[in-house]
Order: sequence, then C-alpha cells, then structure tokens
Amino acid sequence: MKKNHILKNPYVQFILFGLVLATLPIMAQTFPFIKSGYIITIGGTLIYAIAALGLNLLLGYSGLISLGTAGFMGLAAYISAYLTVDLGWPFLASMAVAVIIPTIIGILVGLVSLKIEGMYLAIATLAVSEVIRKTFEEFDFFTNGFSGKAAKFPSFFNISLDRATTYYLIVIVMVLVMILMYNMVNGQLGRALNAMRGSEAASQAMGVNLLKYRLIAFAFATAFAALSGVLYVHFVRYSYPSIWSLKLSLDFLAMIVIGGLRSIYGTVLGAFIIFAVPDLFLKQIPYFNQLSYMFNGILIILVIMFYPNGIVYLRYDIKKWWKKIFDRKGKVNHDAG
Amino acid sequence: MMLDNEILKIDGLSIAFGGLKAVDNLSFSIKENEIFGLIGPNGAGKTTVFNCITQFYKPNAGSLLFRDRKGEVQELTKHKVHDIIKLGLVRTFQNVELIRELSLIDNVLVGGHIDFKSTVFEQALKLPRAVKEEKALRIEAEDILRRLGIYERKDMIAFGQPYGILKKVEFARTLMSHPKLIILDEPAAGLNDVETLQLAQMIRQIRDEFQCSILLVEHDMRLVMDVCDRICAINFGQFLALGSAKEIQRNPAVQQAYLGNSEDEQHEKDSTVH
Amino acid sequence: MSIFLQLLLRSLETGSVYALAALGIIIVYRTSNITNFSQGVVSMFSTFVVTALFINTGMPLWLAILGGVASAITVGMLIDFIVIRHTKKVSPVAKQIITLGLIMVVLGITPLFFGVDPLTLPRLINAGDLKILGANISYNGLFNIVFGLVLMFVLFYVLQNTKWGLAVRTTASNEYTARLMGVPTKTVTMFAWGIAGVLGVFSGVMVAPMTSVSLNLMDQVQINALIACVLGGFQTFYGPIFAAYMIGISANLLSYYVSSVWGGQILYIVILAFLIFRPHGLFGKKIIKKV
Repeated sequence: MKKNHILKNPYVQFILFGLVLATLPIMAQTFPFIKSGYIITIGGTLIYAIAALGLNLLLGYSGLISLGTAGFMGLAAYISAYLTVDLGWPFLASMAVAVIIPTIIGILVGLVSLKIEGMYLAIATLAVSEVIRKTFEEFDFFTNGFSGKAAKFPSFFNISLDRATTYYLIVIVMVLVMILMYNMVNGQLGRALNAMRGSEAASQAMGVNLLKYRLIAFAFATAFAALSGVLYVHFVRYSYPSIWSLKLSLDFLAMIVIGGLRSIYGTVLGAFIIFAVPDLFLKQIPYFNQLSYMFNGILIILVIMFYPNGIVYLRYDIKKWWKKIFDRKGKVNHDAG
Repeated sequence: MMLDNEILKIDGLSIAFGGLKAVDNLSFSIKENEIFGLIGPNGAGKTTVFNCITQFYKPNAGSLLFRDRKGEVQELTKHKVHDIIKLGLVRTFQNVELIRELSLIDNVLVGGHIDFKSTVFEQALKLPRAVKEEKALRIEAEDILRRLGIYERKDMIAFGQPYGILKKVEFARTLMSHPKLIILDEPAAGLNDVETLQLAQMIRQIRDEFQCSILLVEHDMRLVMDVCDRICAINFGQFLALGSAKEIQRNPAVQQAYLGNSEDEQHEKDSTVH
Repeated sequence: MSIFLQLLLRSLETGSVYALAALGIIIVYRTSNITNFSQGVVSMFSTFVVTALFINTGMPLWLAILGGVASAITVGMLIDFIVIRHTKKVSPVAKQIITLGLIMVVLGITPLFFGVDPLTLPRLINAGDLKILGANISYNGLFNIVFGLVLMFVLFYVLQNTKWGLAVRTTASNEYTARLMGVPTKTVTMFAWGIAGVLGVFSGVMVAPMTSVSLNLMDQVQINALIACVLGGFQTFYGPIFAAYMIGISANLLSYYVSSVWGGQILYIVILAFLIFRPHGLFGKKIIKKV
C-alpha cells in the first residue's frame, strides 16, 4: 500500500499521463509501425480534449448544453491566425487576446440566455454560432473566406517550435488544464455546481447564486474552447469555415457523454474514441465518415439510456465483476476445503 | 418597529396564487434563542409562509423583518433568495436535499459557501488564500460533525447513509453558515417515534450550543408540543392562535381545525376496521 | 409599396415553413417534454425520400410527397417507439442530448441511402405568377402559404374539438395525471412524433425548391423554428406559430432594407436581446416552481 502512495496523488498521475503522451514523437522515430502522421492525429485529439474538458464542466456539473463550442473555438483560431500572420503580433499576446474575446462574447450570450432557463442556452448558442459561422465566410480580410487562413507554428522567447515541439506544448497545456479542472471541481466551485445539480432550491438556500455559477461554468467552457482553437490553428496551421460547424460541436458533446460526464480522464478517453480511433484504424472502410458519425450518434443515445456514467466507468464495473467472480471462486474453494 | 429581543417579525403577510389566498394577513414574531413552532393541518399554508420568509416566493403584501448577524434590522423581501443566508437565516428541506455523490464533509462544506472569499482563479491555481480558507472551513466542518456525533463517517458518500444520519448532515450544513435563525421544514417527516425523540434532543442541543433561534414548521404534533417554547397555529392561511404548547392544545379553535380533523380521521379509521 | 408587398408575400411563404417546423417542435415538446433538435434533420431525411421517389420512379410529385409523408410518420413513430419511450427516467437535459445524438445518426445515415451529392426537387406547381397590386407571387408560393395555414387550422381544430385532441392536451398539461385518467399517453406521444414528422416533410418540400436537397437543407429552418419557440414561448401552441411568421417577415425586411448578407444574423441578435426584457417570450408565463 505505502509503496504506491505517491502514485495515488492525482497531480502525479496527471503529470505521468502527460509524460506517457509526450513519448509519442520519440516512439515514432524508434518504431516503424508508429507513423509520424500519428503525431498530428494524437495532437489534434488532445487539442479537442481541452475544449471537451471545458464543455464537461458546463454539461457535467451544471447540466447546461452549449452548441457553440466549435464556433468559439474557430473564432479564437481565426483571431490568433489574424493577429500573428497579418498584424505580426507575438504568439503569446495573440493567444491571450484570442482567448479573451470569445470568452467575453460567451459571457454576454450567457447573461442573456441563462437568466431565463438553462435549456435556452443550447438554442442561444446555436443561433450565435450561426452568426459566427457567417462571419467566417463573409469577413474575407479577417478569415480569407472559403480559401482558408494559414498560420504558423508557435514561437515565443526566441524559440520557434516545429511540429514535434508544438506537440509537447499541447501535452503540457492539456495537463495544466486537467490540473485546473481537478482543482476547480474539488473545491468550492465544484461543490456549488454539484449542489445546483442536486437541487436548485437547496443550493440557493445555501447562498449559491444560480446565474453567477452557471455563467462561471459557461465562461470556462468558452475559454477552454478558445484555448483549444488557438492551439489548433498553430498546430494544423490552417483554418476553414467548414471545420467549425455544428457537426464538430456535436462531436464534443459525444466525447464527454460517451467518455464520461464529470470525469477528467473520461473526457480524454472520449476524445480518443471520437477522433483518434476512427482516424488511426478505420479510415479504409468505405463511407467511413458517415458511418463513424452515425455510430457516434448511436453511442450517445445508448450511453445515455443504459450507461449514463460513460465508458470511463467500465473500470469500476470490471473491478466489481472481477471481485464478484473472484469472491465466488474463493467461497467455493473455502466450502470445498 | 421591532423589539430588541425579537429576531423575526412577520407583519400582515399575504400571498395569493391565481386568486386563491394561500396566506392571508398573517402576523407573528419570534424571539432570540426561542424554539418556535408553526403548525396547522395539511394545506394550511405553512410551507407557503416558509417559502415567503426564505424568499422563494415574493409575498404580495406585508413585511418580514429580520435582525441580521450584525444586529441590524433587514426587510427580507428586499433580498434575493441566495442572499438570505448571508443575513443569518438558513433553512432545511423536507426531503433532505443533499448531494448523493459527495462525502458527508463535502456536503457540510456546501453550507460554508458564503464564507469563501477567494475567487475561482485562486481556487483553480490553489493560491495560498484559497488553500487556507478551504483548510479553515474543513476544520470547522469537522468540529460540527464531531459535536453532532457523526465525525467517523465524514468521508463516506452521502448516498446510502441512514435517514437519521442524513438529517444530521443537513443540520451540520446549516450550522456551517453561523445562523441566527434556522427554519426546519417538517423535520419529523419519515422518522419513527424513537428518532423523533432524538430529533427533539438535537434541536434543543443546537439551540443551546450554537445560540440561535429555531422556527419549526411541522405537521407532527408530538415533536412540536415537546420542544417548542411557543407555537403559532394557522389554518387556511389565517392566524388561529398563539401560545405555549398547553395553551394551544386547549384552544378550541385549534382543536376544531386541527385536532378535530384528526379525530374525524381516527373515527373513520375505526369504522373501517369494524 | 409594391416591393414591400412583394417582401411580405415572400415572408409569409418562409414564415409558413418556419411555423410548420415550430409546430412540430412544440407538439413533441408538449407531449414528451423534449426540446427536439432533430426535427430539422428528420425533415431533411423525409425530403430526400420524396426527392428520391420522384427522380428514381418517375411518379408524380404529389404521389412522391405522399410517400414522404408515410415515411415521415414511420420514422417519427419509430424514434418514439425505439428511443424516446424508454427515457421516462432520463433528465430533460439528457433527452435534449438524445435528440442531438439523433442529428448525428440521421446525418450519418442519409448519405448511405441517397448518396453524397445534392439533389433537386421541383416546385409542386411549376409555372405561373399571380400579380397583386404590382407584387408578384408564384402560384406555388401562394399554395404554400394557404396550405400551411390550412394544415395548422386543421391541427388546431383537431386539438380543440376532438377526443384525440383532448387526449393530446391532457397529456401536454400533465402526463402523469393523464395516464391516471386513462388517456393512452404512450399512443398519444407516438402520434405526436408522427405528426411532427408530417409537419416536417411539408416544411422540407416547401423549402427544397428554393435551394437544393442536401444535408444542410433544414439547418436554417431548424434554428429559426427553435428561436420561434423561444420567442413565442413553449407553453402555448399559437405563440411559436405567430413568432415564426414574425421571424419570416422581419428576416426578409432586414435582408432587403438593412443588409442582404447579415439580415438573418442581425435578427438573431435582436431576438436574443429582446429576451432580456421578456425572458418567457411573447406569450409565455412565468412558472412558479414548487419548492
């Protein structure tokens, strides 16, 4: 027991998880069966996981749905590309602005729709992402329209990153976001959100301002989406209007529902199920895009109906089943003895 | 306006739902360190009074004066529902509203919500102020759990705990906010005779140890008659009588409205047996 | 003046499309307590059925539409029968997510049946314009307006004056009590999904000739219909319909007089801002929650 004491520390676990992910570029150089293209897939998956973590805070803890994840992510991507390429801003400054602007827009949208009833947020964000999508198509000077906007790998403090080092940056940011999430959901914020989820009346009686905490959750969801948008555009180095569609927003929803609501590792697992697995293994199947999208939809419905805690929960259930089988065997032996 | 020893003064409270008067011109006041009972038969408007005090409903007329922690008199209707607890007024729920997935101590810590001064950013980054606050409140929560005799269970998940324990956790949660007045919504609901007796003991203990007043909104006569210093009886949203347990029991209007009813019920039950 | 009238007539046409879609959303909301985000894609699927029948079998368009109606009823009822019926214990949010999952299923499945290329669907009435006070409207457009109104009046008549309508209204006001009173709520809900499907296929067939039959066919309609429901309030049947026509008219006026590109987007923002002042919509009431 005492030996793995340090491994039980959640922070150590997060960092170890990051270290494992960080070995990928080295593995790609050592083993021929790991193609270097995998770095793009896994890096992309981790970027999506960051946005999904924010959405999980919103949906998992406060029971609110946002259909604007892709829109806010894209907005941040274009802002950062525009600031670094067209205006020549340094990466870190443009990243800050690209996160702050969508977050402010998100807070305004939240102020309007969350005052009414939670369920309106989904509709309001749907309408707003429609407005944002139109912006991507029409504001040529800013987004370069349908031809797409190019961006460069990040560079700061006189260091210019390449693909592998940008991948490391993504891993570091994701681990940081995981730690932030962990601290938030295990502190006062998490308790307030949990109380709201359990009973709105009881949480209000305990002094929780419903509007304020819904807004906080939505603001973080937007900020994380924006952060992931910045990383995306500087990793993939391209952005088209068609990427930031409702389809992508639904994918984020699928990730957290299938992976596991309110679970940090579940979210990352969900990102792997939705993005990495199909991209790495199933691409050869005809109609692969349509099929995988359909299966994601079916999975969402099945998980909600029959396994609402998400796939990450399998871990506990397998343990339980294992114990049951093991116990029964032990009992049989004992009886026989 | 309000006497020095009064903590809550209700004056001319009225509220109607779609033309139906749920509470009609009701007045009474509660003194400091008093255990006060509000009784009435089903549908008398007890819960509505309750929800008006805690601002879940906004009354149509009347004033609700409350002496807050600093000793200042506050008009409750001017405060938002989530700000009421900051004044020192806190409530429990009929069917204990705890968070099933959280440990008992985390549930109690929800009651300390208003005492957190550090921002979300400080909490996310675990800056010193947030860590210090969390630690101090945790110690306080442990202390309250110890005084209520359920300290050993503090790290257990709320889900699956016996009902009596959950009731205690809910009390502990209210105590975290250093209340001046605790309003209990039918605390005896779902308890057996022995548990009701223990509950009466605990209510007295809380009043004495934590120096607060308690307003008991209750249907169960045993508990009310047992612990309350004074009792107000209402029916159809209107005032019936006010006095000690004995006075209330002797009051013909109350007997008519309350005990009379239950006698009828008793009679019906008997006749079905025969 | 003639331009204004022209705009108004066009708006009534798009307004009926939004109104039919909104009514489909509301009838499902009232009977199953679900904000149905999949109304649009299911309509899109049925419109594909109509188009495929029309193109591949050479049957007359009206017959193809009837085929689409049959498929819409089947799909709607199947959704209820296979999925929604079994979600009694699921929270409203989770139900919303289920309808979002349905979007993914339909978007994935449609190209498998109908290919990835957009199709074209002609108008029901091919030629002829009517001139009123200098404004033009095609007979088809006029037919759409009248048909939409007639369909809604029939539905309202059924809701208000028939036994079946009473069953829907009791289920809508309180599912549990309705069940205790002997209303077959399961059947009612299934029919509601079927009717939503019918309303959907009509809105799809009306919209299709203006553009092409593709996966995005109903995106705009779905968003406008949902906003109509918010603006009109989810509590009544007439509120969202009124709001749908209002959205149709204001969107066209804004597109013409303010900005052809941004008209629709400006409208969304105006409506969101309006909701600050009337959070429960034009006709909605504040519901006092029991604590």
